[in-house]
Amino acid sequence: MKSEVREALIAKLTALADDEVILAHRASEWTGHAPILEEDIALANIAQDELGHATLWYGLRQQLDGCDSDQLAFFREAGEYRNTELVELPKGDWAFTMLRQFLFDLYETLWLQSAKNSSYQPLADAANKVLREERFHLQHTYAWVERLGLGTEESNQRMQHALDMQWGYAQQLFVPTPGEDLLVAEGMVPDLGAIKTQWLEYSTKHLQNAGLKLPINPGYQPTSRACHTEHLWSILAEMQSTARWDTEAKVW
Amino acid sequence: MDTQWPRWEVFKQDTPSKPHQAVGSVHAADPEHALLTARNIFARRPQAVSMWVARAEDIYAWTQEEIVEAQGLKTESYAASVSSPSKYLVFRKTSHKRSMTFVDHVGEVEARTPGEALEQAQAQFTDAETLAWWIVPADKVYRSDPSLEMVESWFAPAKDKTYKQQQYYATVGSHISKHKLGRGVEDEE
Repeated sequence: MKSEVREALIAKLTALADDEVILAHRASEWTGHAPILEEDIALANIAQDELGHATLWYGLRQQLDGCDSDQLAFFREAGEYRNTELVELPKGDWAFTMLRQFLFDLYETLWLQSAKNSSYQPLADAANKVLREERFHLQHTYAWVERLGLGTEESNQRMQHALDMQWGYAQQLFVPTPGEDLLVAEGMVPDLGAIKTQWLEYSTKHLQNAGLKLPINPGYQPTSRACHTEHLWSILAEMQSTARWDTEAKVW
Repeated sequence: MDTQWPRWEVFKQDTPSKPHQAVGSVHAADPEHALLTARNIFARRPQAVSMWVARAEDIYAWTQEEIVEAQGLKTESYAASVSSPSKYLVFRKTSHKRSMTFVDHVGEVEARTPGEALEQAQAQFTDAETLAWWIVPADKVYRSDPSLEMVESWFAPAKDKTYKQQQYYATVGSHISKHKLGRGVEDEE
């Protein structure tokens, strides 16, 4: 593998993993607090799955540069994280969490459906594995968007508020990582432009069918994964605290 | 306004050759939601290939004692209102021993009323003593998507996952036996 391709692949895998880690942690914040026990368990399942996906992506990176996934997750500063700003926003209410999870699950499912044909076999294998779980996540959050959007006046308003807030942020999922064009040229990862077209079509249809209006002005759209909101600092402070207090704690 | 979601009984099938078995219940807003929730609660780890849900209030349940007590209380009184027969799913409990299983699916009957369905079930499924019967109108049972893609998505990931015993996490802190020198108590499972 050429060194510039290798560097680009490391950057891409890091971005994939970081999105999953931070989203998983946000989802886990509902544990013990979700509106009903059944959904509490369901979201904890989703959080664990996303964390499992992160482990897979970090594992693929490890094959390239020998990195340690715990080091990456627990000892990097916020400025070194390469997740999108969408996933680091505070969990908000149930509508906010379900909408974010839907927008992300849809992006991830579409990306994986294409990435399972990657010319880089380890990535193709991982995508195949993750896709099974992600399809189920998407069904779950798809159902919630529909039920809250078409539920009561209040649930619709909360969903609309979440959409107004998140729509611009969500567009960052389709901003390529440094050197990603090299990976696309090698057939290693899908072209994000094509994924975005599918995502826009599918999400627009479902959101509108759920009685929601797409924001006319999409608002702030982050463009670099090197930039973050202040929320990333606080979530990392909480998430990394145990590891940083006691680096010898091997297993929790 | 009642803000509580209805309760749904969940039936899980472990392999294609086994019957759907009642494993517990969930609260959910509608059939699809109940299935999604049931999958999360009852099929994340153990093996499964299919799930059914039915609203608890759509299930007609009789214990053996109730049937004995109700002898003579015939079903014709409400049989008259329904003219053509329809399909009912029959579930039964045959043992007190198994903690995880209340009732197993044994088959279908065609009947005009739940009571008539029960009589048919009693006549038809005689290979074991039945402690309790559940009769559910077939159109009140909602099933998980049987397509290969959905079965893979809902149930296959669980196959690769294993339970971790408590001991797996035991490296933080130490077991109380370590503080009772010489007493050599083994960790419990």
